[in-house]
Amino acid sequence: MVVQKNTTSELLRSLRTLSVAAFHPADEDGEELLRQLRRIGCHAQAFWPPAPRLPEGADVVFIAVRPDTAVPNWSEDRDARAPTIIAIVNYENPTIVDMVVKLEVHGIVASPIRPFGLLSALVVARQIRNSRAAMTRQVQRLESKLAGVRHVAEAKAILMRARNVSEPDAYQIIRDQAMAKRTTVEHMAYAIVSANDILFR
Amino acid sequence: MADHSPIHVGLLFSKTGDISTIETSQLMGTLLAIDEVNAAGGIDGREIIPIHYDPQSSPGLYRVLAERLVLEDRINVIFGCYMSSTRKAVIPIIEKWNRLLFYPTLYEGFECSSNIVYTGAAPNQNSVQLAEFMTASYGVRVYLIGSDYIYPYESNRIMTDLVLQRRGGEKVGERYVPLNAVHDDFKSIIADVKDKQPDFIFSTVVGNSTKCLYQAYADAGLNPRTMPIASLTTLEAEIAQMGADVGAGHVSAAPYFQSIATPRNLESLEEFKRRFGSDVIPNAGWEAAYFQVHLFANAMRLSGSDAIDALMPNLLGSEFDAPQGRVRIDPSNHHTCLYPRIGIANGSGQFTIVRQAIRAVHPDPYLITHSLGDWTISLDTPK
Repeated sequence: MVVQKNTTSELLRSLRTLSVAAFHPADEDGEELLRQLRRIGCHAQAFWPPAPRLPEGADVVFIAVRPDTAVPNWSEDRDARAPTIIAIVNYENPTIVDMVVKLEVHGIVASPIRPFGLLSALVVARQIRNSRAAMTRQVQRLESKLAGVRHVAEAKAILMRARNVSEPDAYQIIRDQAMAKRTTVEHMAYAIVSANDILFR
Repeated sequence: MADHSPIHVGLLFSKTGDISTIETSQLMGTLLAIDEVNAAGGIDGREIIPIHYDPQSSPGLYRVLAERLVLEDRINVIFGCYMSSTRKAVIPIIEKWNRLLFYPTLYEGFECSSNIVYTGAAPNQNSVQLAEFMTASYGVRVYLIGSDYIYPYESNRIMTDLVLQRRGGEKVGERYVPLNAVHDDFKSIIADVKDKQPDFIFSTVVGNSTKCLYQAYADAGLNPRTMPIASLTTLEAEIAQMGADVGAGHVSAAPYFQSIATPRNLESLEEFKRRFGSDVIPNAGWEAAYFQVHLFANAMRLSGSDAIDALMPNLLGSEFDAPQGRVRIDPSNHHTCLYPRIGIANGSGQFTIVRQAIRAVHPDPYLITHSLGDWTISLDTPK
């Protein structure tokens, strides 16, 4: 296999700027985790027990999932800017795996922590988080695009009925109005649909 | 020239703390086997010398003492641990220094360390058989009571799954108590049990607080004949703590009960009594602790070394005539082929065996969905 000589990816180059919150008990494993994160060059701080809210300003959150500690419910804090979340597990039975599944993490690291493998886990988890965020954004864009298309179709139908014009003419009217008002066709269509709702229903 | 230097092994069993009773019996089972090996000339003339530390039922101490055994005492093989939390505390040490742990306790499965040999039951070797027996004999509505840690959570998940496979199966309650729970901790739970009237209770309470649950049950005037407590961890040692009258009628599943009426078992019990008296009460933990030392000794006779890399090939697949029957280390998962049995505690503090496997059941530590009615695990009624 030929290794492609690309420039270093942003995911790797950004490692040294990452702010990491590690929720882990203060034991040898926790120390090993912090040491390796700092070797990698992240700005890492450790806390225990896990905070009830996702920490603000963190790019990455590690959380030890322990049978004797309740997993926080962070679902309300999971917006587009929410950090990458990586679980650390020391049991692999269904009870614990279910706890991890409920957390909806981007990656998983096994305890006892070994320095080797942490960097790859970190980078891949960040990639998954980023692509998931990008996909969410794209879905939102497509949803609003779809709503726009629906509004244009509806506005055309209204105009065709009210002014007794053909479909291309109806579209032309909406487009001209949008030009004149310096707005988008979708926005103009939405105004027509709304006005129609008020005036004629 | 033959090597006659002694072989030091490490023992980590608590003589104090919440789980001292069961671990003391495991310690004594270990010492019995070591005595037997030494009395028969040791391992090719080499005496086994145990170095025992008391980790006081504290996971942190298991880790510290395991490290001391490895680094200061230069130990290659450790026997020990009851609770999963203590095994998990030892794993980083033995994996880091590549040492071997023999773990003589039933647990919740989902682990296979290359540095451990597991000689207690996996859930497919006790939970399924117990659920089968309880739901067939008493009914399908269960109330779960456990100590607050991972083994009870996972055991209760499995029990719930199994009970729900029965028509009308239902979990009517699920409660957890601290590891050091006392009598009063069980009062409100037993009141709730009285209210909900399950067909049976499944207890995953472990250690010295077990007796408090059974005592609270007896104090409330509940009847084991119609609503027994089923357990995987209430064995002869716990029954002795609570008293035979309190324990009578309750049901347990284990690969070993003292009452197994084979010459092989009677011989071990006799030998134990002769050497150590009758203060410590043999049970499944004691038996696993006992036979795993013999498995080790036999493997070392072949390898000549107690280093894990030399021992392991001789351990995996090896067999031994244990008090419960002929056991075998499954080479694919380091767990042990065992003989599930169901016992009902009787008036003399022993278990009357009502079901038993004729063939050893293979361990399946990664089984997620257990099934009732699996012919490979069905038990026989002893004649």
